Amino acid sequence: MIQVFNLSKSYARDSAAITDITFKIAKGDFVYLTGPSGAGKSTLLKLLYCAEQPSRGQMLINGLNLTRISPGRIARFRRVLGVVFQDFKLLNSRSVYENVAFPLEIQGRRSVEIRQKVYQTLKVVGLEHRLNRLPLELSGGEQQRVAIARALVVDPLVLLADEPTGNLDPEKSEQIIELFRGANARGSTVLLATHDREIIRRHPRRVLTLEGGRLVDDRSP
Amino acid sequence: MRQSPFLSVATITTVAVALTLMAIFGAFVGNLQEMARRWSRDVQVVIYLDQPPGQKTLRTWLDHIERQPEVERVTFVSQPEAFNRFRQRLGDDADLLAGMTPDILPASLEIRLQEDFRNRQGVATLANTLRSNPAFADMRHGQDWLERFESVIRLLRASSVVLGGVLLFASLFVVANTIRLTLYARRDEIEVMALVGATPFFIRVPFVLEGIMQGVIGGGVALTSSYLLYRAALSQDMAVWLRATGLEQLLFLSPSAQVLIVVGGGALGLAGSLIAVFRLGRA
Repeated sequence: MIQVFNLSKSYARDSAAITDITFKIAKGDFVYLTGPSGAGKSTLLKLLYCAEQPSRGQMLINGLNLTRISPGRIARFRRVLGVVFQDFKLLNSRSVYENVAFPLEIQGRRSVEIRQKVYQTLKVVGLEHRLNRLPLELSGGEQQRVAIARALVVDPLVLLADEPTGNLDPEKSEQIIELFRGANARGSTVLLATHDREIIRRHPRRVLTLEGGRLVDDRSP
Repeated sequence: MRQSPFLSVATITTVAVALTLMAIFGAFVGNLQEMARRWSRDVQVVIYLDQPPGQKTLRTWLDHIERQPEVERVTFVSQPEAFNRFRQRLGDDADLLAGMTPDILPASLEIRLQEDFRNRQGVATLANTLRSNPAFADMRHGQDWLERFESVIRLLRASSVVLGGVLLFASLFVVANTIRLTLYARRDEIEVMALVGATPFFIRVPFVLEGIMQGVIGGGVALTSSYLLYRAALSQDMAVWLRATGLEQLLFLSPSAQVLIVVGGGALGLAGSLIAVFRLGRA
């Protein structure tokens, strides 16, 4: 499902964010991406959802070569992708319902279908009673769940998450991880970036470890 | 527009101010052209006759002149008529003519031209045709005045094109930058749209439509405010000024120009938003 070959990304001549990374993730896998702050986890995810262009190397998702993709195809590719951002990236002027409905509206789905899908997804993340609230009226954990609902609502082939449990207490982190496990059980391939070793210990899966922009460990339980 | 009402109002206001200026300028040029059109009625050819012609000769001359395509009307002014006009023009000093007889002034043919020929070329063509008659040797057609008049009209038209162009360009610049500010204020929304799979076209279209709508509203506001200014100008005591310029009444924009202001607002909004969204795309 995800294939990365000799991938490198440099922002300046002497500062490489990612250096020569190669790995494969099979369809339906759940993989952690870990490492200390500044290891390159966020950069790798940005490359995978095409917010950045690699300096070298190749990457393919679902057979699509992302290093040779036009802007129009990037948009269509992102529609099969669910991304959960570290800073949520919610639209604060729109309600919870509108935020979650947004990707479906962009795909031109019918309003009846959008209503059903948004309600079902908000129920999965436990926010069906908050659909008319604005994001800033919610707690950090609830905002994170809205961001996850927005990523899940499109039934993504691949779910990428950047520190989805950052700044959350253990109980709320556990709830969030359960949402990703649920999405994985429904067929999504999950790549979850976290530096929280406790989560990995409680829910052991394959772990890719980055350090200084290099893949230093690829270990399965 | 509900996303950033302040910037929407700013865009509409910018379009409205720019188009109000253009509407006022357009009305000003329109009135000047109307004034010039009225002044051009005075463009005529006068033939002074050495000897008053007989009835039959006069009829022949009048028929010949009236057949010319440049001619709207020809009037024979006899010696007594010329004398009377002169007396009236002297007013209280008419006593100066005491003891004089009408034959001191020549009879004349006053030729008024069709509107399309009230210019240097039209007058010259008619004068050349009429010169073939030796009795029409003394012909006056105010060539110097005509040249000055045509220069003024040319200058007026050139100024209207240059000033209109400058105003249009300045408006476009301001509108594009105001819409750019709108886009900048909504950059988070645009980023999220792109990240969840919106195509560049899908992202740009709402902003372009919004630009057109704001432009049309701005055009409507401009039309209303320029009409109110026109009514205010009419309510002032402008009769003296109007009589001095030869205009009977101050004109507002023609219906087609009014439509153009509103459509122009939409076009300005369209062009401004296109510039802004394509710059955003590059950024």
